[in-house]
Amino acid sequence: MSTPSEANTATTTPGPAASGSTTRPSSEAQSADRPPRRTDPVPNPLPYLLDFYPQEDPKFTRIAPFFVALRKGSFTTTRCDEDGSLHWPPRVACPKCRGEKLSWVELPKRGTVYAFSAVLGGAPLGMEEDVPFVVGLIDLQGAELRLFSRIAHTKHEDCRIGMEVELETFDLPDGRVFFRFRPSAPR
Amino acid sequence: MSGGRRVAVVAGGLSNFGVRSATWSELVQEAGHSAFGAIRNFSPQDVDSLFVGAAQPERLAFQSHVAPMAAELLGFEPSKIIQRTELACASGQSAIRSAYAAISAGLSDVAAVLGVEKMNLPSMAEANTSMADVLDRSWDGVHGATAPPFFAMCAQRHMLEYGTTAEQMAMVSEKNHRFANSNPTAQFYSKTFSREKLLKLPMVAPPLRLGDCSSMTDGAAGLLLVSEELARKYTDTPVWVRGTGQHSHFHNLSGAGSLSSWPGLRAAAQEAFRSARMEPKDIDLAEVHDCFTISEILEYEEIGFCPKGKGGQFVADGRSDLGGEVVVNPRGGLLGCGHPLGATGVAQAVEVLQQLQATVPAARAVKGAERALVHNLSGSANVHSLMIYAREN
Ligand SMILES: [Zn+2]
Repeated sequence: MSTPSEANTATTTPGPAASGSTTRPSSEAQSADRPPRRTDPVPNPLPYLLDFYPQEDPKFTRIAPFFVALRKGSFTTTRCDEDGSLHWPPRVACPKCRGEKLSWVELPKRGTVYAFSAVLGGAPLGMEEDVPFVVGLIDLQGAELRLFSRIAHTKHEDCRIGMEVELETFDLPDGRVFFRFRPSAPR
Repeated sequence: MSGGRRVAVVAGGLSNFGVRSATWSELVQEAGHSAFGAIRNFSPQDVDSLFVGAAQPERLAFQSHVAPMAAELLGFEPSKIIQRTELACASGQSAIRSAYAAISAGLSDVAAVLGVEKMNLPSMAEANTSMADVLDRSWDGVHGATAPPFFAMCAQRHMLEYGTTAEQMAMVSEKNHRFANSNPTAQFYSKTFSREKLLKLPMVAPPLRLGDCSSMTDGAAGLLLVSEELARKYTDTPVWVRGTGQHSHFHNLSGAGSLSSWPGLRAAAQEAFRSARMEPKDIDLAEVHDCFTISEILEYEEIGFCPKGKGGQFVADGRSDLGGEVVVNPRGGLLGCGHPLGATGVAQAVEVLQQLQATVPAARAVKGAERALVHNLSGSANVHSLMIYAREN
């Protein structure tokens, strides 16, 4: 696999929000039966192990080039140099031949909806504000790839099988980048 | 079978399923009491192996290393094999298959199975988050993929390609809820759902309504498997494992294919029937994974109970109900009993044991049942696990 052409330095790992303040048991707060109350800040409610977004810094992943490209507006994945198989998501070894000689290739940024539904409740943490939202399986135009994505900026009742969608990228508050799809603007 | 020792199921039992005022550990104890509390000639020292089916205790009960915790709660000190099995929604059956493999191979003589999940938490958003990490969380879960929208897309494609209707899906739910009304351990034991009522419940993930979806449930179930020579020590009516099959087809949803066909289930079912030397027509009752109504319809087709595309008609014609050619989900299914991930597969096996021993209430009894099939899917129907049981060895 090729090495990243530039290091992605924009990301950080989620860290505790706590300052260095110390805990002081205060004697007047302790009555006969009650344990001392916690006085330090409650930690960040979305710690690393509840965070869906992939780590993109090369310190944590070998597919950092995907995110570098995405930040520049390119949608990419890996293709095996030996057998030509196209992967999703990007891999570091080919699932077909186990080979490690892979190249980054551009994917189409337009696709058509193969199937869709909507999440109207019961969303995971961090997505509750998005409810209701549409998701679907998308056939990329001109590539042998059907992938799952959020379909933003639309309502379930306005979606149809076969409707055209296009890639949209967005920044996370901590500096990471990710993607989703939305109904295509007319060409 | 494929050359190993024969394996018998001799006892089983379960906790009540539902939104339970009980912890993970307390559910284990309840199932232990029910499953292992009154077995003839049984001593806890007999148990040489324990397999604990638990999908997400780390996420849902903040507890790992759960097999020895369960062993302690059940009073077992296994000396051959002790382990937990995790295969998401099929974690329970995975534990049974592991016990079966161990006994068949001669590595164990008396193996206990305990399946358990505690899913109702003070923070349901955290529980929902854990359901989304069953899928490829970085590339699918991140977009909001959980089970309901995935199976909703299967329903959308099946309706488009084969003409399956919302009413046919409601018939699956109506049947399974009716069976659950005869099962006091079921989450919806005392709730009735007519087809008309089901079709008016709110949408969860279109076209799936609330009544098309199984629930987040707390529950546990236990099963005792033994080698052939010990079977009649514990019961006069053992039930025999006759075959098993499993197939893992993909994980990231980019591999999900048409959605309207599940070739992985077709492959797993063929292997189960081959190993049992049976055919679909030999099965009297089937406990299949109706996590959603559309799942049961696809399962009729891919297991081979009806031709491809005819699953909706199969339920509409009553062919999966009492009096039909195969009674599907007489326990009440996941729709009627709830779906505590690790417990479901074990509870299905307990139902099969009781059906083949003819000890269930008449309202759901499959009269003269000789052979039964159990199916679990896991994740996005990307893995299918099946077992076939019979009264005859
Ligand atoms: Zn290759």
